[in-house]
Amino acid sequence: MRALLKEPLLHFILVATILFAAYALVQGQRQAAERTIFVPAAELERLGAIYTAEAGTLPGPEEVRGLLADYVRREALAREARRLGLDEGDLVVDRRLEQKMAFVAADLVQLSEPDDTILRDWYDTNIERFQTPVRVTFDHVYFRDGDNPAIASAATALSAAEVDGWRQIGDPFMLQLQYGDLPIREVRRLFGVDFVNSVLELVPSEAWQGPVRSALGTHFVRLTSRRDIETPAFETVRAQVLSDWQDATRRQLNEDAIAEIISNYDVIIEGIDG
Amino acid sequence: MTYKLLSAIALLAVLTACGGGDESVTEASEQASETPPAQSERPAANPNRNAYFGDLHIHTRNSFDAYIFNVRRTADDAYRFAKGETVRHPSGFDMTISGGPLDFYTVTDHAEYLGILPVMDTPGTALSELPRAKDMFSANPEAITAAFQGVGASVRSGEPLEDIYDPDVMDSAWAENVAAAEAHNEPGVFTTFSAYEYTSVTTNIEDETFGGGNLHRNVFFRGPAPSRIFSTLDSTNPEDLWNWMDEQRADGFEAIAIPHNSNVSDGQMFRLETYNGNPLSPEYADQRMRNEPLVEITQVKGTSETHPDLSPNDEWADFELYDKLLASYDVSKTEGSFVREAYRNGLKLQAEQGFDPFRFGLVAASDSHVVGGSYNENDFWSKVGIVDGNAISRGSVPFLGSPDWDNQPDNQITRNAREWFSRWSASGLTGVWAEENTRDAIFDAFRRKETFATTGPRIRVRFFGGFDYADELTEDADLITKAYAAGVPMGGYLVGTGGAPAFLVWAQRDANGGALQRAQIVKVTATGEQVYDVACHQGVPDPETFRCADNGAAVDMATCTPTGEGAAELKTLWRDPSFDAGERTTYYVRVLENPSCRWSTWDALRAGTQPRPDVPQTLQERAYTSPIWYIPPG
Repeated sequence: MRALLKEPLLHFILVATILFAAYALVQGQRQAAERTIFVPAAELERLGAIYTAEAGTLPGPEEVRGLLADYVRREALAREARRLGLDEGDLVVDRRLEQKMAFVAADLVQLSEPDDTILRDWYDTNIERFQTPVRVTFDHVYFRDGDNPAIASAATALSAAEVDGWRQIGDPFMLQLQYGDLPIREVRRLFGVDFVNSVLELVPSEAWQGPVRSALGTHFVRLTSRRDIETPAFETVRAQVLSDWQDATRRQLNEDAIAEIISNYDVIIEGIDG
Repeated sequence: MTYKLLSAIALLAVLTACGGGDESVTEASEQASETPPAQSERPAANPNRNAYFGDLHIHTRNSFDAYIFNVRRTADDAYRFAKGETVRHPSGFDMTISGGPLDFYTVTDHAEYLGILPVMDTPGTALSELPRAKDMFSANPEAITAAFQGVGASVRSGEPLEDIYDPDVMDSAWAENVAAAEAHNEPGVFTTFSAYEYTSVTTNIEDETFGGGNLHRNVFFRGPAPSRIFSTLDSTNPEDLWNWMDEQRADGFEAIAIPHNSNVSDGQMFRLETYNGNPLSPEYADQRMRNEPLVEITQVKGTSETHPDLSPNDEWADFELYDKLLASYDVSKTEGSFVREAYRNGLKLQAEQGFDPFRFGLVAASDSHVVGGSYNENDFWSKVGIVDGNAISRGSVPFLGSPDWDNQPDNQITRNAREWFSRWSASGLTGVWAEENTRDAIFDAFRRKETFATTGPRIRVRFFGGFDYADELTEDADLITKAYAAGVPMGGYLVGTGGAPAFLVWAQRDANGGALQRAQIVKVTATGEQVYDVACHQGVPDPETFRCADNGAAVDMATCTPTGEGAAELKTLWRDPSFDAGERTTYYVRVLENPSCRWSTWDALRAGTQPRPDVPQTLQERAYTSPIWYIPPG
């Protein structure tokens, strides 16, 4: 077994080598020690061994790429943080040096409030964030057994029922007989997907419609309203658009800044000429 | 690489567990809280109560054991997962919650060394310069094992490791988890609680070493949380935790604790002595019930309802048994470890000494250590990240591509898979009956014990007991209103009037899951137990055997497709055929689905291999309600 694992580890290192040789070549020839991240062969083997031990299988090319990218990212950010003196700080800095550096990278970018053209673009591109999902308001009656003879006469009984008489028709239902503005996602959780598809085909009216099948049985439905996806005007959600835009932009700038930091380092994998 | 490293890692996996993921997402999520839905409207409260589903037991990178596996996911990621967002598993695939978003969710990281290991692994920190940190994150398996076992030994003994015991760091990590819970709590839509795990474990008496008996509890705060929490580094005695909780309550921090994995407590979770071996007392019972009104009956490390040795006449007692002590191949002691036996012992104590410390309700959870619970047999990603993140490592597919189970190598990976991981469960969820989805309403349901537990599906179960229920109640359009008005729901006490009670049992299938086969009432007295089928998919239970006829449901093993029909709901008004008005009796409901493939069978089907032969290939998902306790008149 040891021999078995040992040999594939060599393969693993070879894969890593090929992947990063190209990367290292592109990185240029700067040799300043503080700007070089050296990945020792022992470290590479350690990362691969831990992965293999934990996962029970050897890492493939994707996993190798991920392991090395994580290593380089961690090293680059930690060094950058030390270069800026962040390690001489308080406890919070101590705790999360790498994360702190990432945070600082984001903070380095001043996010002034953009003009509304940018915000409107963001709003248009991410419109689903601001929309209200489809919601339905309905009453229903329930028949547990599909062969219940009362189903055949239910439509007649329902149309003849007095104001609240409809509640007495059919079997008792464990949950509610009336739902107001229930998001379609909730309808699916409660009744299953077949019911959702059927209800979405009904035209809202004051009349009872059905029978409609669900995972729970047979229903007659009085769908009194369906609020289709509602899109609020930009002006009414401008504050939320701004907040979302700032979050997303900060995340993007953060990643860009980290990529910039990493690009300042050469990566040398032991055994490979930079 | 040696097997010692494998052992060390596997030991970490079983000792506890945590989650991790890719760093860019983690960092991003730490910086930006989720945008609330555009126009969330809080639904009106329902006096007849709705069923809400949630997971009360989730670990993240802040748990001391998780970080070792390169777990990087945070509490913020955990709540996003529960709301339906996709989160990356440490093994690189995407996790999306099955069955749609949950109604409530709670991160419960280990309090011991909370957030310490991430600091130890951060270059430039003081903690990272410690010899223990160098060892723990070295390439030397012996050093890793020793460093980690040092932490485990400290959690067990309660003696802090002076080098890494930094309460300020732990407070800071706790504040981070509390902030995430606060940020994601949205009344009417999604509920969170500030919570953590208290990680007490038994000690071998002979040599004062790690015993592996699980005495863990999760502690939940109803609303605000204190800034410092109580861990085994304060005391390993759970009764001291209760003392602390009593003090917190007096200071305005209402809390409950929920024990879990009594099944591997080595007989200690429900033993009939105090932690220090003294006789139980009325004061002990009061304090335990005040602080621990609920017990987690099923989760990834198996089900704690009962055991075939304790319930030889229960044909369903062998469900998802997991019997290994923590980080051990030794088998946990059965007596004192299971819920149904504890109910019986509680009644015995009541009869003999006048108090009952085991009158608890039931919940369930996943105990996932990858921030996202895995509840669906058909989409199981197990517990401890990349240690069991693929089918081979968790033992559901033969080792290294072999198409069958003959001639499997005997090594640490296959042994751990055989002894531990292959026995784990795609379980479970907590259901509560509450007026609305808010912290107050759900916590009140915890206190009322109006809770039920499922092994993963969203089966809904109602259970009421009363003396004046009419026979026609089950067909009454207003039966829930009447059931509440003239009786008590699950978790309640039914105080005798001299007459015989009737019990309303009403189960509804998961609309996105399997059909139901039967509903049962488990009756427990001081002297015995009896399982009654009370409602069947077809026909009625046999009055002699109390069993439903076989409904013919099965599974096509070539495709894992269920065959045969099942019930959408089961409903009955049941009367105990051997009711004794003078005897204290505990009744709870168990609902069984039709058979379906176990997760290990699904894994094998997808891989095109034979299912693992030494675990069940199918199972019957189920739900358990909190009991109703009948108390004789006078």
